[in-house]
Amino acid sequence: MKLRVLSFVAALALTSPALSIDAKDVVLKANHASYYQGKDGKAKVTMTITDTQGRTRVRDFTILRRDQGDSDGAQKFYVYFRGPADVAKTVFMVWKKEAGDDDRWMYLPALDLVKRIAASDERTSFVGSHFFYEDVSGRGPDEDTHELTEETDNYYVLKSTPKDTGAAEFAYYVSYIHKATFLPVQIQYFDAQGENYRTYEALNVDTIKGYPTVTAARMSDKRIGGSTEMSYSDVQYDKGINDAIFSERYLRNPPRRELR
Amino acid sequence: MLVISEHAARRPKLWFWFASLLSLLLIAAVAVPSLAPETAPSFLRPLSIDTDPENMLSPDEPVRVFHNEKKAAFGLYDMVVVGVVNETNPNGVFNQQSLSDVYNLTRYIKSLDLTPDSSKRGVITADIIAPSTVDNIEQAGLGAVSFNWLMPDAPKSDADAKAIATKAARIPLFDNTLVSGDRKALALYIPIASKDLSYSLAKSIQTEVAKYTSGNRYYITGLPVAQDQFGVEMFVQMAISAPMAMLLIFALMWWFFRNLKLIVAPMIVAMIAVILTMGLLVITGHTVHIMSSMIPIFIMPIAVLDAVHILSDFFDKYRETGDRAKTVRVVMDELSAPMLYTTLTTCAGFASLAFTPIPPVQVFGVFVAIGVFLAWLLTITLVPAYIMLMKESSLEGFGFVENAGEEQSPLARFLKKMGGFTFARAKLVIFITILVSVGAVYGINRIEINDNPVKWFSKDHPIRQADKALNERFAGTYMAYLTLASQDKMVGAPSDIVSSLSPDAQAVLKGADTSSFKAMRQALIAAQDTAESDALWDALDEAVLKIDTATQTSETFKRPDVLAYMEKLQKFLLETGLVGKSNALPDVVKTVYRELYQGADENYRIPETSAAVAQTLLTYESSHRPQDLWHFVTPDFRETNMWLQLKSGDNRDMKALVEAVDTFVAQNPAPVALSHNWFGLTYINVIWQEKMVTGMLEAFAGSFVIVLLLMTALFRSFWWGLLAMLPLTVTIAVIYGLIGFVGKDYDMPVAVLSALSLGLAVDYAIHFLARSRQLAIRYGSWHNTVGHVFGEPARAIARNVIVIGVGFLPLLAAPLVPYQTVGVFISAILVLAGAVTLLLLPSLITVFSTHLFPKSNGE
Repeated sequence: MKLRVLSFVAALALTSPALSIDAKDVVLKANHASYYQGKDGKAKVTMTITDTQGRTRVRDFTILRRDQGDSDGAQKFYVYFRGPADVAKTVFMVWKKEAGDDDRWMYLPALDLVKRIAASDERTSFVGSHFFYEDVSGRGPDEDTHELTEETDNYYVLKSTPKDTGAAEFAYYVSYIHKATFLPVQIQYFDAQGENYRTYEALNVDTIKGYPTVTAARMSDKRIGGSTEMSYSDVQYDKGINDAIFSERYLRNPPRRELR
Repeated sequence: MLVISEHAARRPKLWFWFASLLSLLLIAAVAVPSLAPETAPSFLRPLSIDTDPENMLSPDEPVRVFHNEKKAAFGLYDMVVVGVVNETNPNGVFNQQSLSDVYNLTRYIKSLDLTPDSSKRGVITADIIAPSTVDNIEQAGLGAVSFNWLMPDAPKSDADAKAIATKAARIPLFDNTLVSGDRKALALYIPIASKDLSYSLAKSIQTEVAKYTSGNRYYITGLPVAQDQFGVEMFVQMAISAPMAMLLIFALMWWFFRNLKLIVAPMIVAMIAVILTMGLLVITGHTVHIMSSMIPIFIMPIAVLDAVHILSDFFDKYRETGDRAKTVRVVMDELSAPMLYTTLTTCAGFASLAFTPIPPVQVFGVFVAIGVFLAWLLTITLVPAYIMLMKESSLEGFGFVENAGEEQSPLARFLKKMGGFTFARAKLVIFITILVSVGAVYGINRIEINDNPVKWFSKDHPIRQADKALNERFAGTYMAYLTLASQDKMVGAPSDIVSSLSPDAQAVLKGADTSSFKAMRQALIAAQDTAESDALWDALDEAVLKIDTATQTSETFKRPDVLAYMEKLQKFLLETGLVGKSNALPDVVKTVYRELYQGADENYRIPETSAAVAQTLLTYESSHRPQDLWHFVTPDFRETNMWLQLKSGDNRDMKALVEAVDTFVAQNPAPVALSHNWFGLTYINVIWQEKMVTGMLEAFAGSFVIVLLLMTALFRSFWWGLLAMLPLTVTIAVIYGLIGFVGKDYDMPVAVLSALSLGLAVDYAIHFLARSRQLAIRYGSWHNTVGHVFGEPARAIARNVIVIGVGFLPLLAAPLVPYQTVGVFISAILVLAGAVTLLLLPSLITVFSTHLFPKSNGE
């Protein structure tokens, strides 16, 4: 099978000059388009978690993001919860590193407690949703080997296989990356039996300040059932967010102006 | 002699052709859709097995509807439990090799595809509880909490392996559930989409672990496995035990009648009756349930019974006439009435089960009744037809060779003496019967109503051994679920909140719509957009939050006082001694809270506010398995589910638990109005059992009256009718008294036996009394008659008792307890009913002969 795909790709490469782009390039561009547009960004997010029973739970939060340098590497995130009321003012903060484990903090206002969250891997749930923490912060392009398996009029189709199979629950994933924007519009995760058990879909893309931006996305998971939808509003780029905000001091005293 | 018997005797071949064709037709109608479903016409139904005790209740039964609703609401599935034990290693399974095997086994189970059809799900992999599939919450250095897989990889050393036990034991949800109390054994919990997958899952696991070499022992248990396994063994049972019983009956008949060709007749009758009944059962779309699987075992003795009467009579009379046709005529004349009535009474007894509220019991009753009726029809046609078809020569030497000689046979001599004894010592016999009956009533009062599907297997069965091994080491393998639902909305009127808001917010809401929280919220958010200062924006934000908080007060199970109440209930559950462990929402909250506060034991408690509870749970939701939370509470936090692990699946214990919780709830009012309810298989078993006990009692009372009326009609005398009821009454009393004394639980097979007693015990009485009356007319007084009654009629009854009583003893070799029970009790009922008929009835006739034979002078 693999051989056949390779020869198919090789055949395409001979006939179509478009395939001169290599898998690694696509991945890097997709990574940039998804997580590194502008120097910083802000968005209000409404997350709707729907379970197998069709019951929904809604979480509202605001995300602030600031890149550290231009290398599509380190970033800082500040996620401020607005609702439901009993988790309002909870803050989730991340210092994403170029290499090595990210630093993550959680501020729980009702306990007045700042806690660092350590996890063996980044594939833990993002606050109870079907998205993993890694889906929100971005998976490092170096963690998988990528293979360009197909090119259609609109999409590059990539097959990515983890280098460390123990650190991920999937065997591989297939992403459909939009040629014009380099935004992944669908990512299908497969298990060792070759079953597609988890799927990401970009539901809506708007161009904001010239940056094509996913403003609605869904993650569904057959294993646990149900899906989560995130819809983004009030998306802003290059606001000049102060780096000092992404610190422990601001966990207890949220930056009003930036969160407005 | 009935017209139909007459016809059969004249056209024997026609009747055999007819019966054989009908049997073949039904066999084909069952075999074709079962074996080659694609070629079968759609109106034919394949044979389908149903071992689900849930089906003891009809699908629309409220308790079942609730069970299914709650299973869905809390995302629960039936579970197969795999216990892993290592008795050779001092650390049990917590060594490098053993855990590597467990790691591989878990991977294997996750990869299993139990359903070839991709639309159906097999193992619910996301919910497997195994070391490599659950999260360990623990401290990770200063100020950090970590969520890691408890066993992300196969351990590299024995020390790593031991550490896993220590970590798991620290998490209350895993302690005594995943890891045993002594930290030496593991239990994996494998949820499956449907119970009928459990057997193939168990088989796959057995094949896989056979490859492992670490010396682990694997015990597979859980109610679904037991039920599925039962279904498989039920087939084996039907295929082996029933024919074995048949064979033994055959051998005994041969010993009595010494004519192989002749005794084939009852066998044919029984066989055809069973084939026709089971065929009808399947083609009418009924499933073969544990109850209906017993239909053949019930039909066989009853079918053979009448044929044995005919043969016995024929055997004794053949020499008198030496003419086959004449003898058949005489015999059939004598026996048609009693045979018809015994059939009617038996049918009435079983058909009465149709009025019980339990669908499988209804089906069982109706089809046994049909089978008995078919057996009667076949007996009165095929047996005479068969005799007529035999060559005269094969009857050579049949029957009483020397009249005096047969009268001297041990059985004949014994019965003669017995007859004399009942005449001479009539009052003694009656006195002893009364004494025994009083004792029986005492025994009946000691009967324990109880059942447990796992105990349907004999003690040395792997399922029972697994059950024992795991319940010794873990909190329990029987699951029951207790739900608490909030009855109180707790949300105040929207307009009430306005006065508590800040002046800025009140100013915004002045003149705005304050009839709903939603409208107020919208007004405030709209005002926020135009707010110039951050301070105003913030003030309005606070107001929105206040409104949101007000609407959230309906989330009962985030309230610390409610969680504390649950904690108290959990403590109480443990104190009852009936619950090995309870797993509930407070355990999740307390564990995460403890780890948020340095993992110190004193912080293993419920936080002080609802918001603190919510934020603790939000932290939990950042783990690998946030969905586990929804097994304990619904997303609206209005209903909670407590998972109880019981060491015993006995209905008696479950029932005691239900009562204990009722008492607790009555004595300890909750901080808010809560309703409680149960679900889970262990609980469902209690409900259907209760229905069965009362249902059987009512059915029995009803059929008792019907049979009494039939008897009165048959003998055209109330007193003779009443007399006919005595053997069955005494038999049932003594059998159930004995059950009470021995301490045998009153379970499903025992309950059904009352119908069998009614059906069989009355038969002997009918034959005995009918023949007694016939003979009394001929011989005048009872004194003169009694000797004749204890001739051929008593011999027929005694032969019947022995043939069928002994014939069912092979069921004792069965690995399934319900069949053993039925085997023992059929034998006991027959022997007892025979003895009571032959002892009590003549004694009573002796004492009350003036009453019973008003025209004669009694002597």
